Amino acid sequence: MTELPASKLAVFADLPALPGRRKRLVAGVSRAWYELRKSRTAFIGFWMLVVLFSACIATPWIATHDPIKQSYRERLAPPSEKHFLGTDRMGRDIYSRLLWGGRRLVTIALLAVTFGLSLGIPYGVLSGYFGGKVDTVAMRVVDGLLAFPGLLLYLLIVTLAREWKLEGIYNDLILVFALGFAFTPEVARLSRGTTLAEKQKEYVEASRAIGDGSFSIALKQILPNIISPLIVNATVRLGYVILIIAALSFLGLGTPPPTPDWGSDLSAARDYMETAPLIAAFPGIAICYTVLAFNLFGDGLRDILDPRLAER
Amino acid sequence: MTGENKKGSEQSRREFLRTTTALAGAAMVGLPAHEAAAGKKHPKRGGTIRFGMRDDSVGLDTHRNFIYYVSQPMAGLTGGLLDFNEKMEPVAAVAKEWDASADLKTWTFKLKSGVEYHNGETIDAESVKWNIERILDPKIGHSFNRSALTDVERVTVDDKLTVRFHLREPNAAFDTNVIYYPVNLIAPGSADKADTHPVSCGPFKFKSWKRFDTCELVRFENFYETDSEGNSLPYLDGMIGKPKKEDRVRLTALRTNEVDLIDNMAYADAPNFEKEHGKSFNTWKVSQLGTAFIAFNLKNGPFSAKDNPDAHMLRMAAAHAIDHEGIHEVVFNKQGHIAKGFYGEASPWHGKDITPWPAFDPDKAKALRKKAKGGDAKLLIIANDSFPYMQQSGELAHAMLKDAGFDVTFEIHPTPVVQDKYNKGTFDIDSSANSYRIDPDGWFSRSILSTAPETIRRHGYKNEQVDKLILAAKVEKDKAKRRQMYADVDTLVNKDLPLIYTYFIPGLQAGTKRIQGYKPAFTGPFNYAGGGLRTAWIE
Amino acid sequence: MLAYFIRRVFYLVPVLLVLTMVVFTFVEMLPGNIIDTLVGTEGVNDPEVRKILEKEYGLDQPVYVRYVKWLGRAVQFDFGKSLVTRRPVAVELLQGIPATMYLAIVGISLSMLIAVPLGTIAAVKRNTPIDYAAQVTSLIGISIPEFWFAILCVLFFALYLGWLPSSGFVSPFVDFWGSLKFLILPAAAIGFRQAAYTTRLTRSSMLDEMNKEYVDTARSLGLAERKVIFKYTLRNAMIPTITISGLQLANLLGGTVVLETIFAWPGIGRAIYEAIIQRDYPLIQAGVLVLGVIVVSMNLLVDMTYRLLNPRVKFA
Repeated sequence: MTELPASKLAVFADLPALPGRRKRLVAGVSRAWYELRKSRTAFIGFWMLVVLFSACIATPWIATHDPIKQSYRERLAPPSEKHFLGTDRMGRDIYSRLLWGGRRLVTIALLAVTFGLSLGIPYGVLSGYFGGKVDTVAMRVVDGLLAFPGLLLYLLIVTLAREWKLEGIYNDLILVFALGFAFTPEVARLSRGTTLAEKQKEYVEASRAIGDGSFSIALKQILPNIISPLIVNATVRLGYVILIIAALSFLGLGTPPPTPDWGSDLSAARDYMETAPLIAAFPGIAICYTVLAFNLFGDGLRDILDPRLAER
Repeated sequence: MTGENKKGSEQSRREFLRTTTALAGAAMVGLPAHEAAAGKKHPKRGGTIRFGMRDDSVGLDTHRNFIYYVSQPMAGLTGGLLDFNEKMEPVAAVAKEWDASADLKTWTFKLKSGVEYHNGETIDAESVKWNIERILDPKIGHSFNRSALTDVERVTVDDKLTVRFHLREPNAAFDTNVIYYPVNLIAPGSADKADTHPVSCGPFKFKSWKRFDTCELVRFENFYETDSEGNSLPYLDGMIGKPKKEDRVRLTALRTNEVDLIDNMAYADAPNFEKEHGKSFNTWKVSQLGTAFIAFNLKNGPFSAKDNPDAHMLRMAAAHAIDHEGIHEVVFNKQGHIAKGFYGEASPWHGKDITPWPAFDPDKAKALRKKAKGGDAKLLIIANDSFPYMQQSGELAHAMLKDAGFDVTFEIHPTPVVQDKYNKGTFDIDSSANSYRIDPDGWFSRSILSTAPETIRRHGYKNEQVDKLILAAKVEKDKAKRRQMYADVDTLVNKDLPLIYTYFIPGLQAGTKRIQGYKPAFTGPFNYAGGGLRTAWIE
Repeated sequence: MLAYFIRRVFYLVPVLLVLTMVVFTFVEMLPGNIIDTLVGTEGVNDPEVRKILEKEYGLDQPVYVRYVKWLGRAVQFDFGKSLVTRRPVAVELLQGIPATMYLAIVGISLSMLIAVPLGTIAAVKRNTPIDYAAQVTSLIGISIPEFWFAILCVLFFALYLGWLPSSGFVSPFVDFWGSLKFLILPAAAIGFRQAAYTTRLTRSSMLDEMNKEYVDTARSLGLAERKVIFKYTLRNAMIPTITISGLQLANLLGGTVVLETIFAWPGIGRAIYEAIIQRDYPLIQAGVLVLGVIVVSMNLLVDMTYRLLNPRVKFA
């Protein structure tokens, strides 16, 4: 139970900010835990994520080799005591690369999604709250960005970010900005929609009557109430971001070697899919595992947070 | 080229033709040569070959686009004044004989009579002139195609079948520049349709092209070349180029009989494939698609003498850190050979006594790096994303330099970005390669000579002795002497280290056993005099 | 209703304007240009020739001039010529879009073939192991890296089993049955992925419908459970599934670049991707605009259908 940070659960529990917070918080945590156990998929996803995050945190201690140290005399070695999962085409330890790569990838995904949320939420909430002309213009921009079909926005932004990269800015950070930015319009639209719905509700009217300022209402009152659909969306998005990174690697827009990266490693292992299939299997399975974990958890969360479904 | 020389090459071509058609097919299946010569297998007319290739042309106008003679189906369409043979030497094609003036500044080509473009237009001197001028137009000609003709001042027409090239500078090997690759001829009457329906004079003519999908060529019935018995070539009814970019899919397509022939098998698959599937498929080794190297930026930065007095020492340190055997093993899976100069052993231009680059010696590398100024500088290695071996060599060079204590980062970029980095000099090391050049002048005069625009733009190497040798070799008529001069240049390059030659890029093609009489030239092309798809047939 | 529709159509104009401006800005910011591409890895990048060519391609003008000029022609459906292939952009689009459409439509249909039974079973057997298995199976589809899955499919179905060709494309107008066997693998790869969303949706809308009064009424009238589910519930539950599939379809038009590359499918995704890499400006701009139009029209269509089927949603 301790693994889930309480601050997040308060959010899950859909609590308005009211006096007696702490008490409500504890109640919220136990309610969330109860719901989590009820939804089988969320529960499986939750434990898969616990394993994933533990591995990411413990990487410096459990990795056995330097992930970028090549020793081509030992390339394509099968799993052994020295190399738990064998070595790749450059003789690097696959086990260590998986761990470091996962740590890096999960961090990028988390940061990118956070970045997207932190741009998109204020944009959407303010646009929805103020309405009128501001809203109209703001939403045209969002719709324009959302009209990019499929991967094309990602392709453009990542190509741009990667090739335009400013000297001195760390490559991974660029990826975070690019992926986060591409996520922004979706967040903006979602938070605007829920803001519009919340705006009509009594408590907002009440705050207004007391004489709270617009900004204060938008941020203090509405924000906590629209965040649960966003959390679900963001969780599923974490998995999606990881798949996008893999797809970009395949298209040659991924992280250049030797940085450990599941997508690039999997993409580079294509050559060996028949002669040394394990090299491709490990990063492939790692990606599947992680994305599945996020999807299961996000899917379960939706059940929990959507009261309509939760009643059943 | 003297008349005698030319006759010699013509003769060798004839001789070659007589035997190849029978030989090539038989040699593949391992029959002794005399059995093949006895004509055990006789070429058959007909059949269409499906060729799975890694690349595709980007456009159809063969002057405007760079039609790479390997891996692009459109190369089957192109023909020119001259051809090359299996050894990559110039031989007659549309021109039957050619000669240079004593000062090597005027080259005269006599055309065969009655040779036609695919649309039936006669190839005469006027049309050749028109073609050369079209390629030279900077708004039309692709820079690679134009670069073959940079020496041309003007073209004149003597009579219907005689065309004369007037050069700005004497050139002993100008004839290699008018080989169909890249100076191909198109029918003047077809110019307005060049982007949609190209008309050239190669062994196959255009039928249809669907980008990323299919390029269909059909036999050109009036092609100028015949086999030893006087049968017109090619034997095939046509070829269908199937660009399949993904290596694994291309190989699968061959094994499931969706295509008859593939090129550029992944290096990881090559040794295994020969072992496991050698019984059901033929394989053909290509020994030198091109030459890979690691180039330094001598224009600015820590490797440039302008910015760093110890630049050469630092390059030496880097050279000592490069383990060629490692590249051999990791990138090419032990296929092919390490490069000490630009030309490999299969080439007539192979230099025998080139002093190689500094040997792999990690301790020396570390010591030199510490001693040299700028040894702690941040370095950037770049590689072009079009070719896996450039990326992987770059990746390996990155690891090796890191082992020697260099502070390096590695980036992979598409062509426009790489070009941008060359222009601005915002890189330190470049993992690159150059495709095979039929004449050494095509490499040394364009990429090593200090006054060449590409040298200035890309790495900025300058050595007077090297320049003198290159310029002298350009006007030297004796082939053996020229070869030695270029070998001397490579020795100097290995000493000065504007670049480190790393590898002759190997290739492996594979096809079904039904294909007979086929063999790519040692640099990979399938369209050449007396061989390739011109003499291939399907059993 | 009609007024609402017209208003929505007008509303699309600024949206598409934003789209084109974003593309223009992004493409302008990419380093290197078409001339660097044309030079390739082997050619000579001569500054003087560069100037001549930049003038020839109109690149010597400032970006806003080019944008306005382009826009002026685009509204007349004149997209110019591809700088790379030199064929009219319309020709490139007309080759790529139908091929991708074909792939996407069949892919989405396959996804519904997978998702509807799976989602229905999951709903009927709600909270049983069957339900969980169905949900996890569908989620695995969107959890596998697409290119890895595709190559594994090629190796398994084409090489190992020998059932299907590995790659390639045949137009259905040339040879309909022949084209199908090339289509199956890439379409199945799409279907398996997209099925994850649709399964989930089918399940929840089935649950919704099964809780409604008419179902109880039908049951109380003594109709067989099977008939209730298949005849009434499923039919109604399909509405959201179909509408979502419409949205997925539009989105797939730019999302199949990976599969197109692997299966040597001459689609629009690959064409635009290559155009971005090669800096083929007219093709990028026209491609994104045309696909954008398809996406927004599809969204509008789905929205209108949904409103027509659900009278409760107001035409606000």
